[in-house]
Amino acid sequence: MIRLDTDRSATFCDGLSRRDFLHAGAIVPLGLTLTELQKAKAANGKDDDVNCIMLFLVGGPSQLDTWDMKPKAPAEVRGPFQPIKTNEVGTQISEIFPRMAKHADKFSLIRSVYHTATAVHDTGHQMMQTGRLFSGGIEHPHVGCALGYLKGGRGELPAHVLLPRPIGRTGGNLPHGHTAGYLGKPHDPFILNADPNAPGFKVPDLLPPEYISAIRAERRQKLRDAVDGATEAFEQNAASKQLDDNFKLAYKLMSSEKARNAFAMEKESEKTKDRYGRTRFGQSCLMARRLIEAGVRFVTVNMFETVFDEVTWDIHGSKPFTDIVQMSKEVAPNFDAAYTALLEDLSERGLLSNTMVVALGEFGRTPKVNPAGGRDHHPGAWTVVIGGGPLKGGRVVGESDELGYAPKSRPVTPGEIAATLYKGLGLDPHKELPGPQNRPIPMVDYGVKPISELF
Amino acid sequence: MRLRYLLPALAVSLFLSPSASGADLRVYPAEVTIGGPNRMQQLLVVEEENGRAVRDVTATAKFSSSAAKTATVDAKGAVTGRAAGESKIAIVVGAKTVEVAVKVDASSEWTFRNHVIPTLTRAGCNAGACHGALAGKGGMKLSLRGYDPDSDWFVLTRQALARRVDLTKPADSLMIKKATRAMPHGGGERFGEDSSHHKMMLAWLAAGAPGPKPIDPELERLEVFPPAILVKPGAPKSTFQVQVRAVYTDGTVEDVTGLARFGSTEELVARVTEDGLITPVGNGEAAITVGFGTKVATLALTAPYANSVKADAFAKAPRTNFVDEHVLQKLELLRLPPSEQSADAEFIRRAFIDTCGILPNADEVTQFLKDTDPKKRARLVDQLLDHPAFVDYWAHKWSDLLLVSSRKLPVPAMWAFYRGVRQSVADNKPWDRFARDILTAKGSSLTNGGGNYFVLHKDVSVLAESTAITFLGTSIGCAKCHNHPLEKWTQDQYWSFANLFSRVSLKNGDRAGEVFVQSKTDGDALHLRRGIAMPPTPLDGKPLAADSTVDRRAYFADWLTSPSNPYFAKALVNRVWKNYMGRGLVEVEDDLRETNPASNRELFEAIATDFVKNKYDVKHLMRVILNSAAYQRSSKPLKENASDDRFYSRYLLRRLPGEVILDAYSDITGVPTPFDKITSAAGDSTSAITTYPRGTRAVQVPDSLATSRFLDAFGRAERVQTCACERTADASVTQALHLNNGYTLNDKLRDKTSVVTKWIVDKLTDEEIVDRVFLSGLSRKPSVTEKKKFLDILAEGSKAGAQSRRETIEDFVWAVLTGREFLFNH
Repeated sequence: MIRLDTDRSATFCDGLSRRDFLHAGAIVPLGLTLTELQKAKAANGKDDDVNCIMLFLVGGPSQLDTWDMKPKAPAEVRGPFQPIKTNEVGTQISEIFPRMAKHADKFSLIRSVYHTATAVHDTGHQMMQTGRLFSGGIEHPHVGCALGYLKGGRGELPAHVLLPRPIGRTGGNLPHGHTAGYLGKPHDPFILNADPNAPGFKVPDLLPPEYISAIRAERRQKLRDAVDGATEAFEQNAASKQLDDNFKLAYKLMSSEKARNAFAMEKESEKTKDRYGRTRFGQSCLMARRLIEAGVRFVTVNMFETVFDEVTWDIHGSKPFTDIVQMSKEVAPNFDAAYTALLEDLSERGLLSNTMVVALGEFGRTPKVNPAGGRDHHPGAWTVVIGGGPLKGGRVVGESDELGYAPKSRPVTPGEIAATLYKGLGLDPHKELPGPQNRPIPMVDYGVKPISELF
Repeated sequence: MRLRYLLPALAVSLFLSPSASGADLRVYPAEVTIGGPNRMQQLLVVEEENGRAVRDVTATAKFSSSAAKTATVDAKGAVTGRAAGESKIAIVVGAKTVEVAVKVDASSEWTFRNHVIPTLTRAGCNAGACHGALAGKGGMKLSLRGYDPDSDWFVLTRQALARRVDLTKPADSLMIKKATRAMPHGGGERFGEDSSHHKMMLAWLAAGAPGPKPIDPELERLEVFPPAILVKPGAPKSTFQVQVRAVYTDGTVEDVTGLARFGSTEELVARVTEDGLITPVGNGEAAITVGFGTKVATLALTAPYANSVKADAFAKAPRTNFVDEHVLQKLELLRLPPSEQSADAEFIRRAFIDTCGILPNADEVTQFLKDTDPKKRARLVDQLLDHPAFVDYWAHKWSDLLLVSSRKLPVPAMWAFYRGVRQSVADNKPWDRFARDILTAKGSSLTNGGGNYFVLHKDVSVLAESTAITFLGTSIGCAKCHNHPLEKWTQDQYWSFANLFSRVSLKNGDRAGEVFVQSKTDGDALHLRRGIAMPPTPLDGKPLAADSTVDRRAYFADWLTSPSNPYFAKALVNRVWKNYMGRGLVEVEDDLRETNPASNRELFEAIATDFVKNKYDVKHLMRVILNSAAYQRSSKPLKENASDDRFYSRYLLRRLPGEVILDAYSDITGVPTPFDKITSAAGDSTSAITTYPRGTRAVQVPDSLATSRFLDAFGRAERVQTCACERTADASVTQALHLNNGYTLNDKLRDKTSVVTKWIVDKLTDEEIVDRVFLSGLSRKPSVTEKKKFLDILAEGSKAGAQSRRETIEDFVWAVLTGREFLFNH
């Protein structure tokens, strides 16, 4: 018998201890089948599969002020910052990322990403997370959800976790592409819905209250199954099936030591926390590392939840948005610290070799600085930072024209980024998934290929 | 009453019943007008049944022209004008012949506004990713999708030393060489040499590249052929080529198929290529959307399911009022048999939840089930519409819509706003009055709570856009900066509309949170691009004289609440319909627009008309819906209607709103939910409050900032932005974790004052407890097998003593209250 144990134990009035609830033996009646349990034992988070962390830079970083500087462009285009050298000969990035500059061997830059859809945040969110623009009522799955659909979770851990919260309002009222779309809600990411940087952070409601013993939890499950009115209506309804699946997953999470441990931020030293930065994004990146270490396959970290009322990459300049300078003072250091801490940490733990880390936004910014000292939406060209796992570091793929308007060579579409992630994850990017009404839909369109320069 | 609805419905259904004579041969357009020599009109030949095309036979038709000097026709049915005059085209398909008259006008020139710009748009030159980008592309900037013809003409013919055009050798023009990629072009080839686009551009250049003129005919509307498509099950597969004709204000018409853009609202039902070729692929209904210039149109495609349905399945289906006539007509057309009617226990539960946001208590259920009056459902409906909880529930709903919260409003102002809304619901204030009173509110925001609407939306754009969503159910935001890319709203219309809201003055009063709202006689919202004040004009309405000093808001309210307003009644009807039926006639509920048509247009028209006729009486509308057989259908699907989620062949399952679940937990356990903390607007801190006395229900809390983990997990509306999308009805793992481990339900069950304690004190038997929980939570009695299972488990739990019995009872109640049957309205 395996014991998935906790640190403390207490005895309750029914004679059972809290320990007993968390006893692996209690899992079986709680909805985990034996095969799954065996799988959990066998896998134990240590298969050779590649994992992925997607850092979504909500708002859309300006290519010209970050990773694709144009020092020779006119002043109204090049912006206020200077390029600096990195530890890769010939690659320069903006001075606002001093730490990143020391890790340029660990990531590559794709400087020719573009999309042609309407220049609103939501379209880019869809395309960068799913590889496609939604149309005709079909919602496509996030790369991490397709991965979870194809490979399942390792043991009792969810395959895909989203930190800290889904992207909220960004003006377009369109879906943002963080769900499993047509694959169905069972394959949606597990969403933390809490701020890991909050004082005394705990995953909300992960553990049962002390008075709910294993016996009671088991009895509750049995009782819940015994209500069987209107069965025909419920059996055929996706939402009601989802409800039951959620209860099953909740049981898995609350009864798994590994799951609880993965979220136990208190086990990290203060020094490590400092290194990532005491921000919501920094601590989310730290949690992403913990989750990958525990066996989660894909973690999406949203750097921001909205582009309103927060200082983000959405640097229009005018209220309620921030401008270029403010971005460089708040947003850039936050990213620089968290991103480099994550690379270092993964690397030190031997995880970087099987974990891709991709940092991307939904579009770039207009080359010409606007009168408010900001830059507006521009999906014509921007830069994606990608590395880890099987991907080569230290490369620069594609280039934009002299003003950063449009790709000059090797244009790369969001679909190609998704294809690259799928290939890196060991999946055939053109594998057909069962779409709505079982219409087969390739994960990315036929003809859209992974970026070969990165492999 | 019944007869009144039946007669027109009968007439309609006769008209729609399958014709015995088989398909008619139809040619579109029925009369051809061609603008001049060398212009063209493609003919569309279809077989039609009851006004719906069932097969496109253009490819097999034979065409001939009676006067080839005037107009010629090729084998594919393309008619080309040759000289001014008249001709007739004969179209032969098998044994049938149809004739179409052709009139060719004298030559008229190609205009910049109506020909060149649409060509650039269709070719993608002025798309957002190309020269239409805010900063332009490659040094040339066109207005996005051509919303600014004057500046585009300047850019193309004058800017950059006029090097983009060569009027002497049009083919050498830079703009032509780039577009055909005779020269390197970052955007690739946009049209081929000798294409119709190419020829037209050359002709325009040869004519001296004339610019837009004030006398240019204005695009009035689009005509789309065929008018509708019916995909007959079992018939050989057919594709359909859409034809689009533009009609201008001067009466000219033109084939613009090659310049229009196409889309499908349901790609699982029908797909459409960028040239307008439709391929049906599934069952249901799709709208093919067509856009050209600033106008849009749709074509309805119906693909019935391949069900064999008994002939009387629809005739015998119960019908109470006109809603049923329309719903059943649609179901019959689509061959979706309706599910049977709901049982009384199902009906009482759903009617309580949907109307009042509460569950019936055990006594109410018992009484209703016992009642043998055949009119008991209608009687219950009347009682519910006068129930005190009705006011709580709908005041909460409209507070979502109006963003009542202390996020942006001082607490006293929030209360004033809420009380105003609440009183309106209690008085069943007609919806036109409700809207007018808010939109023309004057005076102190603490005395007249509606004035806070203007305090919330201080910016004129935000005010205009929020008003459009709130009361017209439509979003116009895109048109602020450029013509709406997918809809008909232009930037000029946006700023004319916004200018209706530019004369509101806000002054702080003496009391805390008090603002005085007044209308002003000066001030304008300036057009973002033109920098001028546009005449204040409602959407598609008549402008108010610029020098008029009447309250512009009142002028707007007059237009808004006029019976002829095409959007106002529908927006409300759709919101109420969605509340009861689980899915809006238009989905999502606040996205009414031409290119997002209702799933049942006839019903939508009929119910909105009825609402207006009954003087915007919201309770009347609800009564119509609640009494309809469509609302009262079972949620149990039939094999044949299982895949229907929008034509109302059965009651649609949905999760209860978070507030309703939470209140039901309080009611059933007898332990109220405390609302004793408030979260800061930034979400980073909470503080204690004593505003809400013990026993305040979740639906009675006007403030979306009142701290509640439960309501957050269950997706309450934040009330930040006017959008139905704020509220989520999804089931999530967070919710499951909270129900399992969170304090909300667990604490209520354990509470010393809970109903469980009372049952034990009152010495209720296990059987009595099981019955009560079922009646109060599920509005029904347990089945024999359910009862046995629960009694066994309760007996087992009681063996270990009193404490164990209590815990078992708690667990039983927990299980019922977290199960799908409880959490879902069914």
